Amino acid sequence: MEKEYMIITNNPLIREKLGESHTIIYKDISYEDVLKEVRDRIHEGHRLLSHPLSGSVKPNETPYKSVMISKGKGEIDEGSLAIIENAIQACRKFVFKSDRYKPEVYEDFRLIDWTLLESGIASADAG
Amino acid sequence: MKLEMGHIYIKDIQFAAESKIEDGILYVSEEAVKAVVLEDEKIKSVSFDIAKPGESVRITPVKDVIEPRVKVEGRGGIFPGVIAKVDTVGEGKTYALKGMAVVTAGKIVGFQEGIIDMTGPGADYTPFSKTLNLVMVCEPVDGIKQHDYEKAVRFAGFRVAVYLGELARELTPDETKVYETCTIKEGMEKYPNLPRVAYVQMLQSQGLLHDTYVYGVDAKKIVPTIMSPTEIMDGAIVSGNCVSACDKNPTYVHLNNPVVHDMFEQHGKTFNFVCHIITNENVYLADKQRSSDWTAKICKMLDLDGVIVSQEGFGNPDTDLIMNCKKIEAEGVKTVIITDEYAGRDGKSQSLADSDPAADAVVTGGNANQVIILPKLDKVIGTLDYVTKIAGASEETLREDGSLEVELQVLTGATNETGFNKLSAR
Repeated sequence: MEKEYMIITNNPLIREKLGESHTIIYKDISYEDVLKEVRDRIHEGHRLLSHPLSGSVKPNETPYKSVMISKGKGEIDEGSLAIIENAIQACRKFVFKSDRYKPEVYEDFRLIDWTLLESGIASADAG
Repeated sequence: MKLEMGHIYIKDIQFAAESKIEDGILYVSEEAVKAVVLEDEKIKSVSFDIAKPGESVRITPVKDVIEPRVKVEGRGGIFPGVIAKVDTVGEGKTYALKGMAVVTAGKIVGFQEGIIDMTGPGADYTPFSKTLNLVMVCEPVDGIKQHDYEKAVRFAGFRVAVYLGELARELTPDETKVYETCTIKEGMEKYPNLPRVAYVQMLQSQGLLHDTYVYGVDAKKIVPTIMSPTEIMDGAIVSGNCVSACDKNPTYVHLNNPVVHDMFEQHGKTFNFVCHIITNENVYLADKQRSSDWTAKICKMLDLDGVIVSQEGFGNPDTDLIMNCKKIEAEGVKTVIITDEYAGRDGKSQSLADSDPAADAVVTGGNANQVIILPKLDKVIGTLDYVTKIAGASEETLREDGSLEVELQVLTGATNETGFNKLSAR
């Protein structure tokens, strides 16, 4: 069945894992810019389906973020808009250090972003 | 449900030929505990070490902290559904080894978490600088996936804690505390004039190193439910998370949850402690909505007057926290929420990623972005190789003189959102 969601991401691992089976919008951009991409689509009427902040790995520490939004469009969803705007605000209070890690750490950041997204996908596909 | 908690005070830990507890001293056979860890073929090797309060020792990267316990009477065993077989726990008699902890350490991902300093300024921020720590550093077999390694270390820590707890089975506790809860009807009859109050505990449940387990069930797959507040004392809830160590609940905190213990202190005096409600913090927004709807519904169905809500973690759980608060208040039930803050290094940014006027009674565990300098210590258990990869740290963290400039985020338990921490306000 056609998935009712799409994924906006800057994480190459997501493209690798889901590129064949899911609708992915992959861009080589910053964490904050991923959130802004999501915000722009919410303005177009898409709904936010997964939370744009992680539970522990902070914005500006991990460079990677993947967010699920609805494929379909409707009226602007105020709830989605409030969450994404707050998330963009939250980015700014963390010292930027996403570019200061050893190369192998980025692989782990990609993995953690994937496991968080995977749990969202599991919920979406169950529904 | 009635649980007698027997406390056995441990004054010292020493390695010895035979494991036993005598005169408050825990003797540990290194060979025996190694065998317990190596039962899992995914673990290649393990080293044990002892860290005592006041010693110039830094433990990192910390994964979990566990208090050894043994079930002496009553149904089930410690860590039901995980180590013991599934059975409802929380009644009978349980002994705990107080003043000590099993600390698991090991590198699972490159930006691993958690520092416990046994002395110096860092020790003031982590509650686990005050416990005698038996530290186990586990190395996995080659080529193992992070998920499998995380699980292997998690279970190994529980097995060692249960092994040590068993040593206390035949001892006489130094102190006994009794925790008793009523059924709903009993409570109404016994305390007709006291407000009905419950504890809503939010459990982090999002993915690798972000998970919590209830009777062995991954908390992201539960719907909110009610528990007797004594169940956690037998290990009904265990930790699988450690990233951003300041505000994650290690298993030790679940066993000793101060919200539950403080609410028991008030039970029958200032309020009727009705029950412990657990809910989760999932990634998917519809899950957040369902869980907060259910939590509010349960509060209403129990005719509560008030709840204390504790959060775990930061970021997207702020949304769960505010949804819970808003919806529970809308049912006419008063809330006090416990959180921590990410208010920026200068403390001037907005503390939470979400807010609502209903959240008008808030307790904070402190600002996790606060910067602290940790001086070089004589000994490191684990490795400093990963310190620069801890949340709140970067490649520039390790300074030339060997000291570390970090945010409080890196210290295990520094801004804990159940109040199991050392920070306070003047």
